[in-house]
Amino acid sequence: MKVLGSRELLADVLAKELCIGCGACVSLCPYFRSYNGKTAMLFPCTQEQGRCFAYCPKVEVDLDEVSGKIFGAPYSMEPLGRSLSVMMSRAGKKAAGDNCQSGGTVTALMTYALSNKLCDAAVLTGREGLNAVPAIVTDPGEVKNYASSKYTSAPTLEAFNRAVERGFTRIGVVATPCQVLALAQMRSNPLAKKDFTDPTSLVVGLFCTWSLDYRAFRRLLEGRVDIKDIKKFDIPPPPAEVMEIYTDRGTVEIPLAEVRSTVPNSCDYCFDMTSEFADVSVGVVEGRSGMNTIVVRTERGRAAVDAAVKAGFLELEDMPADNLARLRTAAGNKKKRALKKAAGEGIINTADGRRSLIRLEPKNLAGI
Amino acid sequence: MSYLFDTNEGARYLMMGNDAIVRGALEANVNVASAYPGTPSSEIIENLSKASQKRNIYVEWSVNEKVALEVAFAASIAGLRSICAMKQNGVNVASDFLLHVALSGTRGGIVLLHCDDPGALSSINEGESRHFARMIELPLLEPGDFQEAREMTRWAFELSEELRSIVIMRSVTRLSHASGNVTLGRLGTPDGKARFKYEAVPGDPDSGPVITMPVPPHHALLQEKLKKAIAIFEKSPFNTYTGPEKPELLIITCSACNLYSREAVHLLNAQDRVGILKIGTTWPLPPKLVARHLAMTDRVLFVEEVLPFLEENVKVIAAETASEVGIKKFYGKNDGTMPTINEMNPDIVVDAVKKILGVEYTAMDEGYAKHAKEHLAALAPVRDLTFCPGCPHRASFWNLHNALAMDNRRGFVCGDIGCYTLGFLPCGFSTMKTSHSMGSGIGIASGFGKLTQFGMDQPILAVCGDSTFFHAAIPALVNAIHNKSDVIFVLLDNSGTAMTGFQPHPGTPLDAKGGPLPTIDPADICRSLGATVEYADPFDTDETQKKLLALMQEKGARVLIMKQMCALSPEKKGKKMFEVRVDQELCRGDTCGCSRLCTRIFRCPGLVWDSNRQAAVIDEVICAGCGVCVSICPSGAIKKTEAGR
Repeated sequence: MKVLGSRELLADVLAKELCIGCGACVSLCPYFRSYNGKTAMLFPCTQEQGRCFAYCPKVEVDLDEVSGKIFGAPYSMEPLGRSLSVMMSRAGKKAAGDNCQSGGTVTALMTYALSNKLCDAAVLTGREGLNAVPAIVTDPGEVKNYASSKYTSAPTLEAFNRAVERGFTRIGVVATPCQVLALAQMRSNPLAKKDFTDPTSLVVGLFCTWSLDYRAFRRLLEGRVDIKDIKKFDIPPPPAEVMEIYTDRGTVEIPLAEVRSTVPNSCDYCFDMTSEFADVSVGVVEGRSGMNTIVVRTERGRAAVDAAVKAGFLELEDMPADNLARLRTAAGNKKKRALKKAAGEGIINTADGRRSLIRLEPKNLAGI
Repeated sequence: MSYLFDTNEGARYLMMGNDAIVRGALEANVNVASAYPGTPSSEIIENLSKASQKRNIYVEWSVNEKVALEVAFAASIAGLRSICAMKQNGVNVASDFLLHVALSGTRGGIVLLHCDDPGALSSINEGESRHFARMIELPLLEPGDFQEAREMTRWAFELSEELRSIVIMRSVTRLSHASGNVTLGRLGTPDGKARFKYEAVPGDPDSGPVITMPVPPHHALLQEKLKKAIAIFEKSPFNTYTGPEKPELLIITCSACNLYSREAVHLLNAQDRVGILKIGTTWPLPPKLVARHLAMTDRVLFVEEVLPFLEENVKVIAAETASEVGIKKFYGKNDGTMPTINEMNPDIVVDAVKKILGVEYTAMDEGYAKHAKEHLAALAPVRDLTFCPGCPHRASFWNLHNALAMDNRRGFVCGDIGCYTLGFLPCGFSTMKTSHSMGSGIGIASGFGKLTQFGMDQPILAVCGDSTFFHAAIPALVNAIHNKSDVIFVLLDNSGTAMTGFQPHPGTPLDAKGGPLPTIDPADICRSLGATVEYADPFDTDETQKKLLALMQEKGARVLIMKQMCALSPEKKGKKMFEVRVDQELCRGDTCGCSRLCTRIFRCPGLVWDSNRQAAVIDEVICAGCGVCVSICPSGAIKKTEAGR
């Protein structure tokens, strides 16, 4: 993995508007800060190699190398990534809460992980108005306060970096695919530090097709919704083509085409719909509003899910074959679209010392 | 300062030019003195305010130069003698009033004393105020040395009364701030009773209303005064010639350049070949005197600072008298012999005379010069142009920079005039992007704030010091608020006119003598204009940045007062709020996660990089104990404890 410094990060990511604001470069040093959904560089730094560049999911990501560290195998072009099982799930009796997005799987799993000391801290993402605000949570009772989808891009990893700095060593994280990819790079010890240990114990990835630019989204909603009244967002399955915003005074519908206009450019280059480098990935199930899709990817992910089921925090069901097929198609399409776009712009597998968005086995690109 | 009040006529003192001017004014029994501070003029009023403890003089630090001149003018038409001091660009501020004073005429002697700053040693312009004398048709005097500074000031009051006109006198930095021998004149007892007489018909110079209308006859009268001035200047002892009867080269010079010219001729040992005509009455020029000296030679070199004022005016006389004095070869600024920027010095004059006369002279052997330069460089520590240790402006710009960077919309700061003008440099994190005249920051910002209809979406901030606020920022702020301009006006309130030496202003409770005055609160003014006013302590960096970020989310004119006293203010100086130290075990230095933020970016002179230990260290001698660096250290290695007072 090629690791450079903040100057290159500024040129390759921030200046090219590829930054998604995941927070991976924030809270490591005084130079990067998150504010209102964007990452800013306050001053130039002189380090030739920095964690900021090493962790960034938008520059020089070597997929085979990362996959090798996480799964012990090269990157898979399988639409859902590497997995041990794909099932449906929902919160069990011990964990059922309200205001969850679908089946409440993520809230249940993280509540279990904190209750049973599988994690010493959970890095979660809450919401202030439209702004996604990360937090370090140690009380299992608080996990439910962070339930439901946020839609605006979140600097969750800023809180993760703070959790590491505070000395937590078994951190549970709930993250979007870009954040999971950044985490996977962090966990790969890219700067080859001696005495390195993986500070995570459970990475729960979310399904994501795009996020929204906080500032653009706020402008879109101005005058239509009183932002402080918002309780929850949802995008019902097709053919609705709307975003539903639940408030105290009823539900407001915003046409999805308008909402999509606030998606940052960066999301167009994202090939990962299902958080392929997580331990467990969770999303919706089309047509089953009370259920989640759960993709178990790693042994530690499987152990956590099994234990949560056993303890009554989680319930599993088999996934109908046609649902799985539709999910694979959607994920595969996103992967193809993004890789095609990036390849078309010549920012994949670049040579001659030019820096690349991602690197992967060239034959994997041949099929798209 | 005892020499200012020494009654021994003929006593000799080594005096700064500005002090010689003060002595001259005291000898002229000046009654009223007013000014707005500005280097290199500020000592004039400071010393007159000391004199006011012993003599009946009213001394005032006025809100700006225009008002200062109006205050002095009132004294004049009430029959008193007055002086008004300012720096070069102050004349621009006062010029509108000056134009009308020229027409209306004056009564008691009144002198406008401006100190120009060639080379802009303490300015952000190299303005030449002499041109106002010609443009507005007023007599202009330029003392050629320290003795003349005293004598000419004293005489300027008499001249003003004789002409019934304000008299402009120009000094320059090297005259105002350098020192020379001055022999004292007689110090009288000030008298004067103030009464404004307006009972006679308009136009009566002694007791009519003082109005410029009807304009044409007043203008004609003004031009008569200038003719009278010429007649006086033809015989003035301040215009002197030194040199042979038929010099090979005539230097025509004025002001401090007189000293450089004399030194150059002396160095070249060319006293027998070069004559120096030093002119003290530079506008209107006495044509007969000039023509008489032009007739002595064929070659003329002009030595003056900045623009060719003397040069061009002499050339007009030369053209008009060419049939009598003959055709001359002129050397000066127009032919490129002399520079039209920066300060003059003896070396430049030596070079010019060498070339014209074809003489050989080496001031310093080249090898020796190089050697000396190297040695000097090794002796002098490298010093940035920066804010003092503990300066609130460093913290203010830190907050402004970081808030603007986090906001991430390419916002910027329009700057103004004060120590904080350095905010465009790395010491202010290059946050300030414009800087012009007093009050222009908010004026320019007011304009920027109306460009949203053309797609401008950058946050716009203006900074302004407390003294500058009163001087010229208020009309621009009124403009911004009235026109609903989207700007944030940040008042950098350091409780005094810090840059020029803590002169009081309307926000401070003291007069020029140190007596009590009511204060005017800028916040009250802003609120009464309809602006929301918030306060922040720039030393509380987190809170200040939060406030700035929140203000940037709003629209319309917003005011944030960042209040923290200047580190050098008499009330604060020497008192540390905190004892600060660096825990060198915790200091991360050059590694990822720090990259020497404190000594590479923040760069307070009180923080030093110890290259042996590879860690930051506090320079206890100069650390002012503000404690701001504690909040910027990413590893918490900088510690503070309350200082015992």
